[in-house]
Amino acid sequence: MQKALETLLIGLSTGSIYALMSLALVLVWRSTRVVNFAQAGQAMFSTYIGFEIASRSQIFWLGLIFAIVAGAVLGAGVDYFFMRVLFKHANSGPAAVVAPVIATLGLLGLIRSIVGLTWGGEFRAIEAPASKDGYTFGEITIPFSPLNTLIIVTVAIILIILAILFQRTNLGLALRASAYAPEIAQLAGIRTARTRTIGWAIAGGVGGVAGMLVTSYNFLTPYSLDLLLVFGFIAAVIGGLESMAGAVVGALVLGVGLTIILNYVGTSLVFIGGFAVLLLVLLIKPDGIMARGKVRRG
Amino acid sequence: MIRKTRRRRTWFAAAVLAAGSLLATTLPAHAETGVTTNSIKLGITLPLTGAASPGYNKIGNAMDAYFKYVNDNGGVYGRKIQLIQKDDQYSPQLSIAKTNELILKDKVFALVGPLGTANFTAVHKSVGLQRRGIPSLFLNTGFSGFANKKSYPTSFTILPSYAMEAKIVAQFLKENFAGKKLGLVYQNDEFGIDALGAFTAAGVKFDVSIPYTSGTQSAATAQTWVSQLAAGSAQVVVFFGVTSATAPLLAVAAGAKYAPQWILGSVGSDPLTLQALGVPVAVLNGALTPAGNPSPNDLTDEYVKQFQEINTKYNKAAFDDYVLQGMNLGLMTVQALRAAGPSLTRRGLIRAMEAKGSTFASVAYSPLGYSRTSNVGHTGYYMAVMGPTGDRKPFGGTVMLYTTDSGNGPVVKSNFKRPAMPAKGLPNNS
Amino acid sequence: MESWQEARCAVVNESAKKVRKKLLLFIFLGWVLLIIGDRLDELRVYQGAQIAMYTIALASIVLLTGYSGQVSLGNGAMMAVGGYAAALTLNNLQTPIWSAFMMAILVAALFGAFLGLAAARLSGPYLAGTTLALAVGLPAIANQFSFLGGEPGLLFDVGFPPERFGEEFTQYKWYFWIATFIALVSLFITSNILQSRFGRTWKAIRGNSLAAELSGIHSSQMKILAFTVSSGLAGLAGAVLAMTISLVAPGAYTLALSFALVTGAVLAGISSLPGVVLGGFILVAIPEIADALAASLGNQDKLNSYLPGLFVSVLLILSVIYTPNGPGENLRKHFHKKSAH
Repeated sequence: MQKALETLLIGLSTGSIYALMSLALVLVWRSTRVVNFAQAGQAMFSTYIGFEIASRSQIFWLGLIFAIVAGAVLGAGVDYFFMRVLFKHANSGPAAVVAPVIATLGLLGLIRSIVGLTWGGEFRAIEAPASKDGYTFGEITIPFSPLNTLIIVTVAIILIILAILFQRTNLGLALRASAYAPEIAQLAGIRTARTRTIGWAIAGGVGGVAGMLVTSYNFLTPYSLDLLLVFGFIAAVIGGLESMAGAVVGALVLGVGLTIILNYVGTSLVFIGGFAVLLLVLLIKPDGIMARGKVRRG
Repeated sequence: MIRKTRRRRTWFAAAVLAAGSLLATTLPAHAETGVTTNSIKLGITLPLTGAASPGYNKIGNAMDAYFKYVNDNGGVYGRKIQLIQKDDQYSPQLSIAKTNELILKDKVFALVGPLGTANFTAVHKSVGLQRRGIPSLFLNTGFSGFANKKSYPTSFTILPSYAMEAKIVAQFLKENFAGKKLGLVYQNDEFGIDALGAFTAAGVKFDVSIPYTSGTQSAATAQTWVSQLAAGSAQVVVFFGVTSATAPLLAVAAGAKYAPQWILGSVGSDPLTLQALGVPVAVLNGALTPAGNPSPNDLTDEYVKQFQEINTKYNKAAFDDYVLQGMNLGLMTVQALRAAGPSLTRRGLIRAMEAKGSTFASVAYSPLGYSRTSNVGHTGYYMAVMGPTGDRKPFGGTVMLYTTDSGNGPVVKSNFKRPAMPAKGLPNNS
Repeated sequence: MESWQEARCAVVNESAKKVRKKLLLFIFLGWVLLIIGDRLDELRVYQGAQIAMYTIALASIVLLTGYSGQVSLGNGAMMAVGGYAAALTLNNLQTPIWSAFMMAILVAALFGAFLGLAAARLSGPYLAGTTLALAVGLPAIANQFSFLGGEPGLLFDVGFPPERFGEEFTQYKWYFWIATFIALVSLFITSNILQSRFGRTWKAIRGNSLAAELSGIHSSQMKILAFTVSSGLAGLAGAVLAMTISLVAPGAYTLALSFALVTGAVLAGISSLPGVVLGGFILVAIPEIADALAASLGNQDKLNSYLPGLFVSVLLILSVIYTPNGPGENLRKHFHKKSAH
């Protein structure tokens, strides 16, 4: 019973971080019809910036803010300078299917190389903003700590902010319209290109938060966010790539599922477990969990 | 007809002669690979980056610093030593690729201090070190399988094997922790299984036994280890893994307020690296570890003192266990090169190690076992305990050295005295 | 209807002639490579074996993505399947070497068929995501089951070169011979498959799946077939890789490998089979060049670790933007412009 509770709690904690990454991926997908593998690279870069600030000021939250800003700026920059050039040139032939995927992969490698050349590959650690000691109930200590709680709370706050942004503001309406029906949105006077860039900026900022939160209990290296990318992507696909709520649900499902495998089956099967969960979902619902009937697919 | 045939045969003979002489002139005069009149090229593969790199990535630079010091003081019979470091990220595939580069591209004379059990096993077979006759000195791994002279005729270990270490720890457990509940966490490859085998052979029964796969160590997996250990109420926990696995284990245990008596295997126990990886120093206080060297902070030790001086002048790193190890490897290598004589060949180096290696000066307390039938280096450990700053002191106050072998031989207390450090740290043996 | 039968005869004869010409070309190529192999030093010969391995792996990508339009990021996982199948066969069944390679193809093809079955309904990012998860997850399985050797892996020893080749014939040259032979044979067969109606059908599906269905093509069956053949090729490449390092281990088949394969395929032309040779060269040459550059810049660890990645990434981005279908396409366009005048 205790193990089951622990598993659930840890699963929610890790799942909530995946939720940030999958949210960022879905944001970009919906606005640009591109899976941005470079999201992990952007998040990693933002986290290094955040690490620099946090270690100098000894304040985690300051580092987080800088990470968000850096992520947003980088995200906007990638869309503006990179994606537009890409779409202008690579839009025909058999490679059109593959080109955006490869291009973002290339971008991931590029960002990683730049980060590696600048900071080196050593393990870095960031002071966690909360204690990592598990909560104690009398005799029992569970592996769920104040840090885990903080992660869940932070993610929840971000989700609420984003939900308000998308549902209640004009910008949010513009973002949704540009993603769903760009031509009509343009006719309605929305500057779709600029709106798309803003979408990338938001995604980048969210990714920065994800990176900082993960690094609060893991080490930072130019490779440390790769797994986050893989699981974030799987989570997004499970959730259906079309809805942000789906991204979150998919991430939580994945987080809990993986922790179950970790605790009950075996540590080496975690990754293939991700594959199994993904395949299972896609076999039953090829458009993802939250898909409702006919949804536009890439 | 006959004339044509004769002409053809003449052409043929002339062609063969010409081709033969061409071939003969292109055969290079035999000079040993990697050795010129004024230089010796050595190669090392080790994890400079990646999961296993914390700590180990300092060894290469420490060796290099020592070589620079020797080069500045005449080198080895006038030859300057050049050390080429290759990062293999502890991955056996990369070790193979990098060793290929060292041998085929950089054309090194010998390999020194290659790190990693799975790595060297893969390299030895895949690159064919034996077939090529390439000496591999002072393997930075304790896998007892390498102590087999027949299978590894051109290789020489330096560290006591994990089997030896486990036997000594087993003896220590029997003498000091009889009756307590024992836990074991070990890396699930030849490294950890080597130790496990020796524990089993020595009759030690672990109440909780947790293997982990190399590369999967993290805070999350460490949590499962700690849960299992706590559930089994292990009072003494032995750990055989790399430093980047010790760190999450200790950190998570501290967070879960689980504090058994830690016995950390020699590989993953460097206090400075552990602290850099986030282990609170208070957790290290009281932890036990088998050690072969004096503490790197012990300036009363002549080796440590001399190495620290060289380190200050030639290396940019803080002096710790890894730097000490690296410098010692340098010291051993220079003695080996000197023992092989001015006309340096690979076979000569191997023979010199067999004949004279056991007399070399080394910072470790235990005797060296090199001979014509044995490629085993150091053969013993003493138990040390970490203090409140993580610094290492001998358990019981003075160094109590135990020696043994990788097989069924007994664990004995030893009174061996090390050779003195050569003057100014510059060997002059031959 | 006589003229129609004549026409069909002519077409069949034509294609048979083409195949024969190709066969001669390949045999000639093999002979040339043999001679070159004798001239090169051991390092280059070893790299030659690696290039051969990459050409086989890249061919699998060309077939799957370039021809049938299915984006897979998991070919590295199929290589792993092939490598392990070969090693397990060789170590446990004591069969001759060539049968180990055959098993690699068969087992990988089987896995590919399963994957294809599961993935037939998926496309675009869904397929990419699934294959990505496979690429990350499959090699890690080796750590779970001890007969797979765990992290240190299994030995894969194809044995020493035959004694009659003499003392000077090195192990790596032997790998070069075997790898090149396998590459030539598999490229020949693949080329024939791609130029047959299978290849044409795949291209039709890639172009417009709906139209293909309307023309009577069983889209999903052909897609599964593409996965099967492609995986078989990848498995073979995985076995050749295992031969060159005498080892199968999870670390040899990382996600980075899958990415590198897609990279190489794009750089050389994703639907061009001859391009795989160029792709193989590039994949082996880049670490070399980057190493040389890092050495000339002072040889710090940082440079050594990250400069190759920088090269590859920049190259990749440039090529995706400016020659997304490979350098061949741009040359052709250039030619067309000229001849149009």
